Amino acid sequence: MKPRVAFFDFASCEGCQLSVANLEESLVDVLKLIDIVAFREVMKEHSDQYDIAIVEGSITRPMDEERLKKIRANANILIALGACAHLGGVQRMANQWTPEENKKEVYGIANPADIADSNRFFEKPRQKALDEVVKVDYTIPGCPINKEEFAKVLIALLTGRKPPIPDYPVCVECKKKENVCMFTIGKFCMGPLARAGCGAPCPTAGNECEACRGYVDHPHEKAQTDVLEKYGLTVDDIMRRKTMFTYRYVEKPKDGA
Amino acid sequence: MKILMKEDFKAFVNALIGDPSLDTVGVKAKGQKFVFDSLDSADELRLDYDVTILPPKKYFLPQYETIVEFDMSQPFSAKRPEYPRKRVIIGVHPYDIAAIRQMDSYFLDTDITEAYLRRRKNTLIIGSDVITVSPTAFFGDMKTGEVKSGYDLFITDLGDRVSFEVGTEEGERLLRHAANLKDSTPVDLQKRKAKRNSANGKAMRGLMAKPNVWHDLLEKNFESIVWKNQSDKCLACGTCTLVCPTCFCYDINDEINLTLKSGERVRTWDGCLLRQFTVISTGEVFREDIVDRYRHRFHRKGRYLPDRLGFVACVGCGRCSSQCVPDIADPVKMMNMLFESSEHVIAEDGDRDAHSVSIDAKNFDLEGTISLHMPKPATIIRAEKVTEKEMFFEIEMDDHKPLGHQPGQFVEVSLFGSGEAPISVSSPPGGNTFELVVRKAGDLTNKLHLMKAGDKVGIRGPFGKGFDAEALKKKNLLFIAGGLGIVPMRSLFNHVLNNRPDYGEVTVLYGCKEPCEMLFKDEVAAWGQRKDITHLLTVDKCPDGECWEGDIGVVGKLIPKVKFDPKHTIVILVGPPVFYKFVIRDLKKLEVPDENIIVSLERRMKCGVGKCGHCQMSGVYVCKDGPVFNYKEIKDNKEAFK
Amino acid sequence: MKDVNILVEHLTRVEGHGNIVLNAKDGKVEKVQWQVSEAPRFFESFARGRTHYEMAHVTCRICGICSIGHTEASLKATETAMGIELSEQTQTLRRMIKSAENLQSHVLHVGYLIAPDLFGVGSVFPLIGTHPQIVLKIVALHRLANEMSDLLAGRTIHPTNMVPGGFTSIPSEKQLKQLRQKLLDAVPVFNEVAEIVLANAHKLPKFTRETEFIALTSDKEYAIYDGVIGSTDGGTWPVDQYLKVTNEFVVPYSTAKFTKHNRESYMVGALARFNLNYDKLSPLAKQWAGKFGLSSVCHNPFMNSVAQLIECFNDVETTIAWIDQLLEKGLDAKNMCAKYDVKAGRGIAAVDVPRGILFHDYTYNDKGICTKANCIIPTNQNHNNINQDFKAFAPTIIDKPEKEIELLLEMLVRAYDPCISCSCHYLDVQWKR
Repeated sequence: MKPRVAFFDFASCEGCQLSVANLEESLVDVLKLIDIVAFREVMKEHSDQYDIAIVEGSITRPMDEERLKKIRANANILIALGACAHLGGVQRMANQWTPEENKKEVYGIANPADIADSNRFFEKPRQKALDEVVKVDYTIPGCPINKEEFAKVLIALLTGRKPPIPDYPVCVECKKKENVCMFTIGKFCMGPLARAGCGAPCPTAGNECEACRGYVDHPHEKAQTDVLEKYGLTVDDIMRRKTMFTYRYVEKPKDGA
Repeated sequence: MKILMKEDFKAFVNALIGDPSLDTVGVKAKGQKFVFDSLDSADELRLDYDVTILPPKKYFLPQYETIVEFDMSQPFSAKRPEYPRKRVIIGVHPYDIAAIRQMDSYFLDTDITEAYLRRRKNTLIIGSDVITVSPTAFFGDMKTGEVKSGYDLFITDLGDRVSFEVGTEEGERLLRHAANLKDSTPVDLQKRKAKRNSANGKAMRGLMAKPNVWHDLLEKNFESIVWKNQSDKCLACGTCTLVCPTCFCYDINDEINLTLKSGERVRTWDGCLLRQFTVISTGEVFREDIVDRYRHRFHRKGRYLPDRLGFVACVGCGRCSSQCVPDIADPVKMMNMLFESSEHVIAEDGDRDAHSVSIDAKNFDLEGTISLHMPKPATIIRAEKVTEKEMFFEIEMDDHKPLGHQPGQFVEVSLFGSGEAPISVSSPPGGNTFELVVRKAGDLTNKLHLMKAGDKVGIRGPFGKGFDAEALKKKNLLFIAGGLGIVPMRSLFNHVLNNRPDYGEVTVLYGCKEPCEMLFKDEVAAWGQRKDITHLLTVDKCPDGECWEGDIGVVGKLIPKVKFDPKHTIVILVGPPVFYKFVIRDLKKLEVPDENIIVSLERRMKCGVGKCGHCQMSGVYVCKDGPVFNYKEIKDNKEAFK
Repeated sequence: MKDVNILVEHLTRVEGHGNIVLNAKDGKVEKVQWQVSEAPRFFESFARGRTHYEMAHVTCRICGICSIGHTEASLKATETAMGIELSEQTQTLRRMIKSAENLQSHVLHVGYLIAPDLFGVGSVFPLIGTHPQIVLKIVALHRLANEMSDLLAGRTIHPTNMVPGGFTSIPSEKQLKQLRQKLLDAVPVFNEVAEIVLANAHKLPKFTRETEFIALTSDKEYAIYDGVIGSTDGGTWPVDQYLKVTNEFVVPYSTAKFTKHNRESYMVGALARFNLNYDKLSPLAKQWAGKFGLSSVCHNPFMNSVAQLIECFNDVETTIAWIDQLLEKGLDAKNMCAKYDVKAGRGIAAVDVPRGILFHDYTYNDKGICTKANCIIPTNQNHNNINQDFKAFAPTIIDKPEKEIELLLEMLVRAYDPCISCSCHYLDVQWKR
C-alpha cells in the first residue's frame, strides 16, 4: 500500500508547499508513490489517517500548539518543511519584541479588547520551531525548500534510507557552480556557516546567502564573525546578518513571552 | 612556430566552434572574474584572463559525474554512461597544464580510472601563455609558468597576432581549421619570450621555501604553533580544496529517480577541509579539529603526494589564496611563515618540483581498461543473523571464480540505491565462496540485513594489503580481537588453524561488550576442544540473567593471564579505533618489539583504490597500503592512533 | 424552512487560515461571517531594524505565491525613499517579471483550483487520471510560467536577483530569445485551455452585487507594475495617498485587517483591473473577453477567474513585445543596477499583484535602517468584500441542499483567489440542526 501523506501549514507564506506543487510533471510521478490525503494548497478532501505528516510554518499561539500535537499523535513520521518549521522563519525576528509591542505596532491601539490575549486568535503570539513543541523526525530546511531536495527526501524515506540533507556549508555548492565569491564583490555572505543542499541559488544569482537553511552542525561562527569584521561590518550589521533566518540561535527569553 | 593574424585567429576559433564534432570550450568573463565555458563565438574568448575561478580539472573530473547507471527493478543491472563528444579547451595556462599532468599521474597510476582516461583522451588542450598575472599567482616561484609538453597546441597572444606551437599530431590536425597560417619571424619569437619572462617575473611572490624543501619543512614542523594560529581563522568551508587544480578527492553517492526503479551512482568533489570527510559509519570523525584538516591539506601537497607520486602538488595558480575569505590558504604565506619560524635545519629534496611527473596520458590506451567503480555481480548463498546487530553472509561471485583474497583484505559491497560499504572478508583464502559479517550501521548495511539467499549484491575488490600468512609461518602467534575485530582476524586465524603445523604456539584473546555480541559462537566453542591453541574470552559487562563463563573486563586485562614470549611472538591486533592505544600500551609494557605487532585499521574507505582520499592517514592510504600494517611502520604516523 | 449552522474552520489563510460561519433559522440567515484566523506574524513590527537591502528579502516572505509582487512593491518603496532612478532596461525586466508572476499564479488558480469545480471533483489529482491530456497541458503552462520567473527573477518563490536599483544578474539575449519562442509556442495551448473553460463557464453562478473596484490604472499600459490608484466609482489618486483609499480597520474575528472606501467594501484583483483597464488589454486578450461575454464593469465576483484567464493572454502578448524591445536595444549587463546613496526618507509604492493592488510604505533613517513599515495586502482588502458578498449571496441560496450551499460559498471565496490554500481547503464542516 502506498504511504499516506498529509501536508499541514502553520504561520508561513506557504511557499514551501507551493514548491512541492512546482515539481510540475514530477509531481505526477510523486503521486504514483504516495497517497496525498491532505494538502490544503491544492485539495478539498482531507483525512486524519496518515503515515507521514509534512508540516510547514512556525508555531505561534496555544491553539496552534494544540493542533500540532494532534498532528504529531496521528503521524508515524513528522517532517518539518522549510525555514519556518525548522527555525521559526523570518517572523521569529518578531520575538525581539514582546507580544504586546508587536500587536500594538501592527494592529494599533484603537480597540485593545479585540486583540487581547482573551481572543484566542490573538493569544500570546510567539514564534517557535516545530521541534520546540513536538518531536520532529526529519527536517527539510530552506526558505523556500529546494523542491529537488524534497523529492530526494521523499525517495529516501520510501526506500528506507536516511534523508540526504548535507552537513557541509553552502560554499561547497557555490564553488562547484563556479560562482564569483560574494565577498569579492563587496557583499557579505553567510554561505560559510549555512547548510548546503539548496544549490546556492542566491550567490548564483549574485546575492549573498542569508543562511535560510540554518547552520551546519559544527559552524565556525567565530571565524565567520572575524571575517565579517575584517570586511568592515559593524557589530550591529553582523548581528543583523546572524538574525535574519537564524534568530533562533541567539534568541534570549523575553518578558511577556 | 606559426603565426595567425588576430582576425584569422578569430576565424580559426569560430571554425572550431562551428565544427559539430567538437565541444569548443574557452575562457570567458564572468562578472569581474573568468571561467572556462562553452564558447558561442570567438569574441567571447579572453586570452588576456588572469586566472579562472575553477581550474580545467572540471572537464576531466567533473563536479558531478554519473559513473554507473543502474536499474533496481532487475536483480543486477548496471551500465556505464555515455560520454560526451570530443572537446577542445582553448587558453589553458601552463600552470594548469602542469596540474593536468599531475592529475594524469594520480588517476593513471596503478589503478587506472577509466572515466578519467576516457575524458582525458577525448580532450584536446590548446595551451596559452599568461598575459595578465593574477595578484596571488606564484607560478614564477613554482616554475610552472612554462611547460614543454602536455598540450596539443600552444598559443601566445602577441597583440595583433597569435603564435602557435604544435604539441601533438592531433593538435596539428586542428590547424586544418586555420587559414593564412604563416611562419613566425625572429621578432615574433622575441616578443613571445619577452611576454613569458614578464609573466614569470610578475608571478614571483617571494617564496622563501622552494618547492624542494617543502617536504622537510613540513615534516619537521608538524607540531608548529603556526598551524593552530592560522586554522583558528579557518571557516572549514572547503573552498581552498574545491578550487585547487591539484586536489582530486571525491565522494560517491547513489541517487534514485522518482520511479524508484532506476538511478545513478554519482561521483562528486569532496574536500579534506570538510568535517564529514573522514566520518565513518559508526560516527567517528578522524580529523575533528580544524587544525588537523588545515594541516592535512598542506602536508598532502608538500609531503604526501611527493612521497607517493614524486611531484609537489602545487602549481602556484593562487586560486586558493584569492578565494579564501579569511586569507589563510596562501601556500606562499604559509610556507614562508613555517620557514621563518622553523628551528630546524631544512634539507633539500633533490630538484623535486611540480613537474616531477613520470606518467604520460599519451601512453595509455582505453582499450582493455575497466571501470574502477563498476561492481561485479555476486549472489548471496547463505544469510544468517548471528547477533542483534550482525549478520553473516556467504557470497559467490557470479562468474563462479574465487574472490582470490588474502586474509585481512576487504571488499566494497554495493547495493544500487544505497551505495557501497567496505566490509572485511572473514573467511580464509581459497574456496569458491567468501564470507562477510556485516554490522547494521548505515543505509547500505540496514538494507543488507534484509537480504536473503539468492539475492544479488555488487562486489568490488578484494582491496588492500592483508596479513602476510607466509611470513608468519613458524612463528608464535598471539591474536587479540576486540568486538567486530574478530571478523577480519578470522580470515587469518582460520587459515592458521587449517594449516596448524606450519605455525608455532597459537593463542587467541577475544573480548566484546556483552555475551550476546559474541560472534562465531560455534567456532569459539570449538576452540576449547583443541589442544593446540590457547584461548581466553572476556566481556566488558555481563547483564543480569545472561550466562557467561569467561572474564569480565577489557580485553587488555587478558594479556597478563596468558603465557607467551614477548620477544618471540607476533601479536595480531584487530579492534575498534579506541582499542589500539590501550592494548599497544599493555604490550609495550611487556617489551614486545614494535615489528612484532600487526594491526588492522579502520578508516573511511570509499573507493578502495587510493583515489578518493577519505581513508588517508597522513600520507598513508589505509585502503591501499593497509588496512593491515606492521606497527613499526606506522607508529610514527601522527594520525594513526590519535 | 430549516435551520442551518455552518462552521468551516481553517478554510483559508489570508495568505493563511480562515473560517466560514453561517447560522440560519427558519430559512433566514442570521449570521454569515468570514473569519480570518491566520497566526499573526507581525511583519510590520520586525521589519523595523532591517536595512534597505534586506527589506525585500524580508517582506517577500509575506506570501510565497506572490513573493515576486511583494519584492517589487518593496523595492519600489525603497527606491522611492532613496530617490533611486531605474534604467529603462530594469523597468522593462521588472514588468516582465510581474507578468511572469501573474501567469504563474493565474495558471495555478484557474488550472489547478477552478478546473476541479468545473469538472465536479475535489482537487486536480483525480483529473490526472480522468483528463490526463488537459492536466498535462496546464502543468506545461505552469512550468513555463515558473521557468520564466526563474529565468528573470532568479527563482520563482522568493526571487534571488532583485535588489534596490535593479538586478544582480540578468538573462542573456540567447535566453530571452528562447523564452520568446516558448511563449509563442504556448499561445495555442492557452487557446485550448481557454476553450475548455469557455465550454464550462455556464457552471459559474450568476450572482451580482454592485461594489467598488480598485486597481492600479495608467494611460500607458495595462497597469500591473505601475500607475495610479483608480476606482470604478470614479476618481484616481496618487499611490502615496493610499491610506485615503484603504482605510484599514481591525475586527475581532480576524487577524487580518479589513478595508473600505466609498462603500461598505471594495474588491481588488484581476476583475478590478479588467474593469478599470479593459481598453489597454492586448488584442488576443480582448478577443477572449468577447468570447466570454465579459465587459466592463462586471459585478459578478465569480467572473474574477475568467478575468484571470484573459490576463494570461495579455501577459503572454505584452511579454513578447517587451522581449522584442529589449533585443532591439540590446541587453547591457553594465546597466544592471543603479548605484545609490543611502539617505533618510519615506517611500510608498504599489504594484498590482495577481490578487490585487498591494501597497508597501517604508520609512528609513539616515543609515538606511527601516523605522516604520506598513504593508496593505490585496487579500486583506478583499476580506470585507467577501463578507458583504456572503451577506448578499447566502439568502439567495439558503434553500438549496446543505452540501450545495457549502460548495457555493466555497466557490465564492475561491473566486477571489485569496491564496491557493484558502480557496480549496475546508475543514471540519459542521452542520447543526
